[in-house]
Amino acid sequence: MASKPTMVNEEYQYGFNDGDVSVLKFAQGLRRETVEEISRIKKEPKWMLDFRLHSLDVFYKKSMQHWGADLSQLDFEKIVYYVRPSENQGRTWEDVPKAIKDTFERLGIPEAEKKFLAGVSAQYESEVVYHSIHKDLQDKGIIFTDTDSALREYPELFREYFGTVVPPEDNKFAALNSAVWSGGSFVYIPKGVSCDIPLQAYFRINSENMGQFERTLIIAEDNSFGHYVEGCTAPSYNSESLHSAVVEILVKEGARMRYTTVQNWASNVYNLVTKRAVAYKNATMEWVDGNIGSKATMKYPSVYLMGEGARGSVLSIAVAGHNQHQDTGAKMVHMAPNTTSTIVSKSISQHGGKTTYRGLVHFDKSAIGAKSNVKCDTLLMDNESVNDTVPYTEVETSQAEMEHEATVTKVSEEQLFYLTARGLTEEEATRLIILGFIEPFTRELPMEFAVEMNRLIKFEMEGAIG
Amino acid sequence: MGKWVRVASVEEILPRQPFLVAMEDDDIALYWINGEYFATDDLCSHAEASLVEGDLEGYTIHCPRHGGQFDVRTGEARHFPAYAPIRTFPVKREGRDIFIEID
Repeated sequence: MASKPTMVNEEYQYGFNDGDVSVLKFAQGLRRETVEEISRIKKEPKWMLDFRLHSLDVFYKKSMQHWGADLSQLDFEKIVYYVRPSENQGRTWEDVPKAIKDTFERLGIPEAEKKFLAGVSAQYESEVVYHSIHKDLQDKGIIFTDTDSALREYPELFREYFGTVVPPEDNKFAALNSAVWSGGSFVYIPKGVSCDIPLQAYFRINSENMGQFERTLIIAEDNSFGHYVEGCTAPSYNSESLHSAVVEILVKEGARMRYTTVQNWASNVYNLVTKRAVAYKNATMEWVDGNIGSKATMKYPSVYLMGEGARGSVLSIAVAGHNQHQDTGAKMVHMAPNTTSTIVSKSISQHGGKTTYRGLVHFDKSAIGAKSNVKCDTLLMDNESVNDTVPYTEVETSQAEMEHEATVTKVSEEQLFYLTARGLTEEEATRLIILGFIEPFTRELPMEFAVEMNRLIKFEMEGAIG
Repeated sequence: MGKWVRVASVEEILPRQPFLVAMEDDDIALYWINGEYFATDDLCSHAEASLVEGDLEGYTIHCPRHGGQFDVRTGEARHFPAYAPIRTFPVKREGRDIFIEID
């Protein structure tokens, strides 16, 4: 009988750093002055400063949560809350400082932009350093810019929606983000306009102890369509970095929005993110969420289905290796008749890593004829690895349908035997089984991302068979 | 038809300061805004935090826990993450006493 395969983490390939290239870097720690200074540097209107200071009060008042990932090593006083990497934002690659440009080139961003993206935003530390959008999309009225520029250039539109989906009081990390946010993307798709090729943002942390707090706001007007893709990496350090983003999305009547994330943070990054979308009548919101990296991730993309016939879906994978905890899931809140939702969660725990699926499906009294289907599958690679499934279901109507299925499996001896009998090595066989396991996820990624995701998974597994 | 219950004296209620009325079943929040009295459930419909501990802005009470907002005149939810309304109750003043009508 062949020995059980185990997966070994190779060295993290995006773990290089560029040295300190910043032009302005705050001291560690969070004070009222930190928040005031960020707002002053950005020359913000008073209402935003007030919003930030109010959020800081909320942050101080809220206690740390006592569930989910272990955050006891996270010291807010050791985090650097603002790092400005360059003086100006580049519209062409030539404008971007060389060290930063080299990093993004190593990550393959300009290449991807040339090949298949409608627009790119690259955030390095606290600020977006490069931004571009195809002219024909601009001509259609699509706005794709960084969130700071949106506040300056579209103040009314911005104020109407900012903070309306995720208020600072929502949770401690949403409050922290609201106090010190910087960068992120702002997307506006006008009525009836379809943005067929994806818009992409790329987030990179470079400094040690860095806190990245981007803020993303997406508004899809009636009968529009858009696809937003984001990727994240950071260098490997011995001390902790923090990524705490807030993403707010409004999908109006008949519109469809897809938001794809592949986070591959280094194993010293706490990734604590609040992502929420509101879907109105006959609107569709789709989250596609891949969590490969980070020390601990807590992320539960949610959809509030507020109008009749609204649809929501979350399709996610989480891969947890040594010393990693992926506490991820989804929330679907059915607030109107005939709303439907689907959650598909795929988790892989290896080498003592821990994955948790934590999800909520809520049916309000008004959700007559609503349907939800939840499927959580876990693959445990060894006896040290852990998975928990924590599904919450709240039903206030007798006229809704809810299905939940969950499986926890190991790579079976039978499957391995079958594949090795056909000439594959044990490593190749294990890899094939895993790629098959996550196929429902990779299938939904843009082609180039799917290839990258398969490559990443293979990379995670290299040298797996000893 | 509900019954009217005395819940406070006018001296106890300060303008724009939500006041907690402990009832046998559910607690009620009482508000005095621009000379008018309003009463709602005290517990937020989202995660059951006490609304009297929140801030009142105009006719909107802000839940202190997650930032949900409600119109105290109608009970309507005005802001995520709250989405379900809270109940409202008729209020009347007789002399120095304030009454709420409950079922």
